[in-house]
Amino acid sequence: MKVSAANGPPAPPSPKVTAQFDRVGRDYEPLQHLSIRYQVDGIDDAVVTAIERSVLWYTEGKGEEDLGIHLFERIDDPQGLVAALPEASFAVRLPTSPLSYEGVIVKVRWCVRVRLFFAGGRDFVSEHVFDVGRIPPARRPREPLGAVERG
Amino acid sequence: MKLPRFFGKKRGHRRTGLAVWGSVGEGLFYAALVAAGLLFGGLLLSGAMGEAPAGGAGAALGRGQAWWLWLLTFLIPGALLAFGGSGLVRVIRAWGKSDERRAAAVEIPSLLDTMGHAADEAPGHPGVPTCDDLVNSPGTILRYRLPIESPENWTLLGFGLFALLWNAIVLVLAVGAGLDLMSGRTDWLLLALLVPFVAVGIGGFVLFGRAFFQATAVGPTQIEISDHPLLPGGGYDVLLGQGGVGNFRSLELHLELEELATFRQGTDIRTERSVVWRELVKEWKNVQLAPGARFETHVTVVIPPDAMHSFASDHNAVKWRLVVRGRPERRPAFLRVFPLVVFPAPAAAVSRARRVAAWQEVS
Repeated sequence: MKVSAANGPPAPPSPKVTAQFDRVGRDYEPLQHLSIRYQVDGIDDAVVTAIERSVLWYTEGKGEEDLGIHLFERIDDPQGLVAALPEASFAVRLPTSPLSYEGVIVKVRWCVRVRLFFAGGRDFVSEHVFDVGRIPPARRPREPLGAVERG
Repeated sequence: MKLPRFFGKKRGHRRTGLAVWGSVGEGLFYAALVAAGLLFGGLLLSGAMGEAPAGGAGAALGRGQAWWLWLLTFLIPGALLAFGGSGLVRVIRAWGKSDERRAAAVEIPSLLDTMGHAADEAPGHPGVPTCDDLVNSPGTILRYRLPIESPENWTLLGFGLFALLWNAIVLVLAVGAGLDLMSGRTDWLLLALLVPFVAVGIGGFVLFGRAFFQATAVGPTQIEISDHPLLPGGGYDVLLGQGGVGNFRSLELHLELEELATFRQGTDIRTERSVVWRELVKEWKNVQLAPGARFETHVTVVIPPDAMHSFASDHNAVKWRLVVRGRPERRPAFLRVFPLVVFPAPAAAVSRARRVAAWQEVS
């Protein structure tokens, strides 16, 4: 889990978001259901104006970051916030693709993000990475290459 | 809200300072472009409509006789307004929104952003490019004929365009110099300028001719495949056809997985490529090509069961391809690329393969 102040230095109180996935190891297959339960601590007296919950993939590596949203929920009404904080759960059925991929200059990662918006304009995001599929990490091939004769 | 700090810090995935100030700065930049466009446009319009000397551009514009003068006059203000306006609308739409919320909404593409160009997605497969362009050409023996994506063709096009444009400039200069000479005047500066220009023009044609010879002398390479899109674990019949005349020291067919990452470096936009997996499907030694009869052979290409599927987003891609490498005896080596699209394995097939693997481990 990674908790960080997305915008600005950490302002007291600093929230802490813990997440529990329904699968040990956080390994999922395409089209499987993912269920996550999160708990937010350390808000104290800070006023949360909205919470965003999303399931998404993003790219890492040498290229500019790309991002694809699979699930996005924004809760900013008082009743919804009461239900969504300090702890709640949500579930989603994963898509067929893209699969998690650990390439050499391109990586594809899946994660659940919980973003809290506070009165005053600051926001905190908590990211929880999981895997979709079981693609082994890629490595740059060494020259000369081993020949595999076929046909 | 704190006032912005002049220097921000990058700490892992985050930066110090409020993102809203970044949006303010971006908004001010685009607003300045819009203001500059309005200002220049207003000045030009008032100048054109106001008192202008008879026969001048302003008078022509005022009379509405030269529409192209209007177009030319308002080209720069129009461009400023278009860039600034689209940027401003984008900033306003994104104001106060998180990355996820922006990605979930349909964004207005920026006219200044030349990097974002993801391939069309295959229906039901997010992040996987469609293979429509790869299945629209039927093969003569197998089901589909794959399109070629040869780097040599781009080199040839580049040399050809350069030679054409450069020699067009040379022609204009030469006509000017010739007219001067015919009228009895000698512009020595123009003549001196023509000498290196003509030399570069001839060099351009020579380079183009050489590239054209290299691209056409070898003969066409053709690949047909029994099915498309491909699936991990699947085996596919592939027909390789190589035309031309003469002897090849070797002809190789490779299956490759290539990663592409597009990034900004200063003011440049660069794309880095890295082949992360490569398998020699087959190699043929001492291939002799006779006139009128091309070299044809069938092979089976197998996609590894745990292979990554084809992936394409705005700035990143994972691409599968068949690569033909040839080494003719008297000509330079050549490389011809045939793109493939690999879809992710169906979930049922994945779970079945996992069960089989687990059973094999137990037994």
